[in-house]
Amino acid sequence: MTQSPGGFAGRVLRVDLSSGKVSREDTAEKYGDVLGGTGIGYRVLFDEVPAGTGPFDPANKLVFATGALAGTGVPCNGRTAVTAVFPTVWPAPLAGSGHMGGQFAAKLKYAGYDALILEGRADKPVWLFIRDGRVELRDASRLWGGGIRRATLEISQEMGPDCVVAAIGQAGERLAPLAIVANSVSHSAGGVGGVMGSKNLKAVGVQGSGSLRIAGPRDEWERLIKHHLSLLGANNQHVVPAFPSPESEYYNPGSRWVGEPGRRWGAADPPVEITGSILDLNRIAYRSNSAAFFLGEQAWRHTVRGNGCTACPIRCHTVVKMPSVAAKYGIKEVGQNTCVGLVFGRAFFRNMPGGNKGLGSLEACMVGMHLADDYGLWCNYGQLQRDFVKLYSDGTLKARLPAKEYASYDWDKYDAGDPAFLFDLIPRLSERQGELGQVMSQGTAGLFRHWGLKEEDWKRDHSTLYWKMGHPKHHANEDDGQCGVLINTQYNRDAQCHSHTNFVRNGLPIEEQKRLAGGIWGSPDSVDAVGDYRPMNVHKARRARWSLVRKELHDSLGLCNWMGPWVASPLKEQGYRGDDSLESKLFSLATGRATSREELDLMGERIFTLHRALTIRDMGTLAMREKHDLTPDWLYEDKHGQQPFTQGTIRMDRADIATALDMFYGVMGWDKASGAPTRETYARLGLDGAASALERLNLLPGDGNEPGK
Amino acid sequence: MKRFCGTGPIVEAADRCGLGGELSRRGFLVFSAGALASMAALGAARVWGAGAPLVILENPQGLLFADPARCVGCQRCELACTEFNDAVAAPSLSRIKISRNLNFGPAGPSGAPLLGAYGNGLVVQGLCRQCPHPVPCATACPQDAIVEDKATGARVVDEARCVGCRLCQRACPYAMMVFDEGKGKASKCFLCQGRPRCVEACPAQALRYAPWRDLTRESPALAAVSVIPPEKAGACAECHVPARNTPVKERPRSGS
Ligand code: SF4
Ligand code: SF4
Ligand code: SF4
Repeated sequence: MTQSPGGFAGRVLRVDLSSGKVSREDTAEKYGDVLGGTGIGYRVLFDEVPAGTGPFDPANKLVFATGALAGTGVPCNGRTAVTAVFPTVWPAPLAGSGHMGGQFAAKLKYAGYDALILEGRADKPVWLFIRDGRVELRDASRLWGGGIRRATLEISQEMGPDCVVAAIGQAGERLAPLAIVANSVSHSAGGVGGVMGSKNLKAVGVQGSGSLRIAGPRDEWERLIKHHLSLLGANNQHVVPAFPSPESEYYNPGSRWVGEPGRRWGAADPPVEITGSILDLNRIAYRSNSAAFFLGEQAWRHTVRGNGCTACPIRCHTVVKMPSVAAKYGIKEVGQNTCVGLVFGRAFFRNMPGGNKGLGSLEACMVGMHLADDYGLWCNYGQLQRDFVKLYSDGTLKARLPAKEYASYDWDKYDAGDPAFLFDLIPRLSERQGELGQVMSQGTAGLFRHWGLKEEDWKRDHSTLYWKMGHPKHHANEDDGQCGVLINTQYNRDAQCHSHTNFVRNGLPIEEQKRLAGGIWGSPDSVDAVGDYRPMNVHKARRARWSLVRKELHDSLGLCNWMGPWVASPLKEQGYRGDDSLESKLFSLATGRATSREELDLMGERIFTLHRALTIRDMGTLAMREKHDLTPDWLYEDKHGQQPFTQGTIRMDRADIATALDMFYGVMGWDKASGAPTRETYARLGLDGAASALERLNLLPGDGNEPGK
Repeated sequence: MKRFCGTGPIVEAADRCGLGGELSRRGFLVFSAGALASMAALGAARVWGAGAPLVILENPQGLLFADPARCVGCQRCELACTEFNDAVAAPSLSRIKISRNLNFGPAGPSGAPLLGAYGNGLVVQGLCRQCPHPVPCATACPQDAIVEDKATGARVVDEARCVGCRLCQRACPYAMMVFDEGKGKASKCFLCQGRPRCVEACPAQALRYAPWRDLTRESPALAAVSVIPPEKAGACAECHVPARNTPVKERPRSGS
C-alpha cells in the first residue's frame, strides 16, 4: 500500500454496485477542504446526488467516511460517519448521517482508505470484500435473509479473524427506514441499513494490514497522547465521580463515573475488583460502566468487562453475562451494548415486574440486544419504543391493526412485562410483517404517512420526547436550555450533538462551570445551571455555534463526540481546565500540517454550513426558520404550570427562543429572516461553489429572494 | 580438551565457565536455567567467536504478563507499541497481539469454543514469551539476527543483519514475530528497553512487566515449523549428545 501522508490513509474508495467498477480518489486533492467523515458525506451528496433523490433510489449514495485521527492512538477515535439521503425524515427525505463506532474506521484506514463511497445498485445480493488494495464484490445469496452475526461469522471465515464486518440484518434487507448497519457486535449506525439494503449490499468486510504515519516527532506525540488521557473523565466526559472520594473535591450522583472502589466486574472470571486510585490513567477503563448506569446496580454482578471502539479507554459498551437468559430463552448468555442500545428491549414495556432496574428488566434488555443487533432494527433514539407504548396505551394499535393481526400478538405477555414478547415483536418489526411491521419500521414518519396520525399530537406530547421532522430530542432543553434547543433545531434527524451536554453535565458545580465558561466562550453567562435557566444571551448562541462546529469536526476527524470536546477535566490542580485546542494539536502532529484551533474550527464550520446548504437545496426553500428550525409545543409547557426562567423547570419561552434563533443566526452569519447563510458567509467559509449552485436555484438570501420562497 | 562428549566452542565455553565438570559427569549437557544464565553472563556464548552460530541466549530479566479477565480489547497497547516506537499506527506491526483475538479468540471464527467479542467476551492478549534456550525464533534465524538486548535480555531483531527470510516467523510457536512488508524486516517484542509502552498504555491494568519465568511449557503452542540451520543443529548436538552417547550421525530419526 502507499505511504500514509500522516494521519490520513490518503485514498477514498468508490464502488459502483451497478457496474462493479472500483475507483480511487486522492483524499487531500478531492476532499481536502472538508477533512473527512460527514464533510465528505455532505460533499458527495451536494455534488453528486440531485435534490429529490429518494433514500432507496440507486442514485442515492452511501458514504462511509472516517477521518485523519481514526485508527491512531488518539483516545476515542473509532468513529465512522455514514451519510446518505436519510429515510426517516418527515415529511420528505433529506440528508442525514448515522455514526458508528467499533473497529470499522480503524480497519478501513489500515486498508488504505479514509472513506468508502457506495453508489448504484447491485442486481443481486453481494457483499464487498476489501483487503488492502484488493476490492471485489462477492455473492451474498447465502447470507441474504440471515442476521448480522451470521454474516459476520461467515465473512470472517473468508477474510480472517481480525477483519471487520459492517453488515445489515433482515430489517435493512427489507428496506426498513428503521434499520442499522452494524460492526463489531454492537456498534451501529442508524437509519442507513435500508439504504444499504436498497443497493443489494449485505455487508462490507474490511481487512487492512497497512500503517498510518504519525508525521510529527514521536516523543511529542507520546506527550500529547498522555496529555489527552490526563483530561479524560468518564463516559460523556463527566469529570467528577458519582460517589464521594478522598481523591475528588466534588462528586455528582448524575455522573457516569460510576466505577467506585469496592465495586467489581462480577461476571469476570475471576471477578475483577475496582481498587486503587480513581484518577490512575491505567484504570480509566474502570470508571464507566454503562450497564450499571442504565440498568441499575444489579448490573455490576453481571458485568464481564467494558468494551468499545478502537483506542478508546472509556469503554462505553458493557459486556453483560446472564446465564438465566440462556436457560429461559435459549439465547447467548453474553451480550453487549450502550445507552439506548442497552435498553432496547426493556423500553417497549409499560411496566416491568421489579421495576425498570429489576432483574426482569435486565433480562428484557438482554433479549432486546440479542434480537435488535442481529435483525438490525433501529430504535430512532428510543422513539420506536416510546411510539409503541403510546399507540398501545391509547388504543391506536387495536383500532388500526386488522383484528386478526392484533390478536396474533400475546398482549397478556406484554402487559406482564414478559421479555418473551420481544421474540414475537422484534423479528416481525424487522421483517416488516403485517401492518404493524410495515408501518412502525418506518419510524414516526410512517405513523403520519400511513395511519394519518397528526404530527401536532406528537409535538404536544411530553411523553414521546418527539421534537420535529420524524425524530426525537437529543440533549435539548432538559440538559442545556436555549443552547440545547438551538442545537436540536439544526439537523434533519435527532441532533446527535454532545459538545454542549458533555460540558453542562460534567458534574462540576455551576460556579466552577461558569468560571471555565468565561475562559472558553467569553462570558460566564454562556452557561446556566441545569433546570435554572436565564433568558437568552449572545454568549449562549456562541456556545451553541461552538458545540455544532465541534460536533461536525469530531464526525469528520473520526473522533467521538460522545466523549469530546475536552474543555473540562478532572484536574483540580489545573482548575478543572481541559484543552480547547486539543483537536487541532492532535491533527497538526498526526498530519504534519500545523493547524491552529481557529483554522480547524473553520473547517468544522464549513462542514456544518455545507449541511445547511444541502438542506436548503433539498427542501427547495430558503425558509429554514419557518420550515426547518422547528421546536415542539411541549417545550413551552410545564406539566405543573411553572413559568419559564424559574428554578426547577425546563420550560422555555417562545419569544425567548425566537431571540435565541436571531442571535444564533447572527453569530453564524446567516440571514435572520430566513435562517439561510448569506453569500458572504459561504465565501468566508470557502463555499463559493455551493453558493453559486444555490444562487442558480434562487436559494441565496438577499437579491430579492424572500424567505418562504 | 578433556574427556567430553564432544569438542568445539561449546565445550570450551563450558570449561571456561567452570561447567566442564558438569559436561563430563552427565555425559550430555543438561544445563539448568541458572547454569545457562551464568554461562551467558560470563560471555560464554560469545567466546565462540564471530563465525560461530548463536545458540544460547541468557534468560531475560523481565517479561510481559497479561490478565485476559481485565482486558477491555481497546488495542491501546498495540497502538502504543507502534506509535511510540516506530511513529506509525499499525496493529499489524505491533509486537503485542490483540486484534487477532478480539472477535473470536485464539481459535478464530471457525473454531470452538468462541472467545472474544462474538464469544464469551474474553480477550486473550498475544505476548512474546521471551523464550529460554533454545529460543525458537533465534535458533531458526540463519543470520543470527535475533540477539539479546543488553538492557533487558529480550530477544530482539538486529535489523542490520535481518535479510527478511521470515524463518523466524515460521519458527515462533506463538506467532509473535511480526514482519514489516515495507522494510522487508522482521520485528518482535523487545520490551522497550525496560519501559514497555504497552504496559504504560493499558487503561485496565491488564498488562504488567515482571521478573522473567519460563512460560513456554504451560501455554499451548502452535505447531511451529522447526527450521534449524545445519551449523546450529551441529552446535545443538555438541551439547545435547543423544542418549547413550550415540554418535550424532547414527542417531535414529524420530518418526514424524
Ligand atoms: S518471538 Fe516467539 S520464539 Fe521468539 S522469543 Fe518470542 S515467543 Fe519465543
Ligand atoms: S526474517 Fe527472521 S529469521 Fe529471517 S533473517 Fe530476519 S530475523 Fe532472521
Ligand atoms: S491496552 Fe490493555 S485492555 Fe487494552 S487491549 Fe491492550 S491489554 Fe487489553
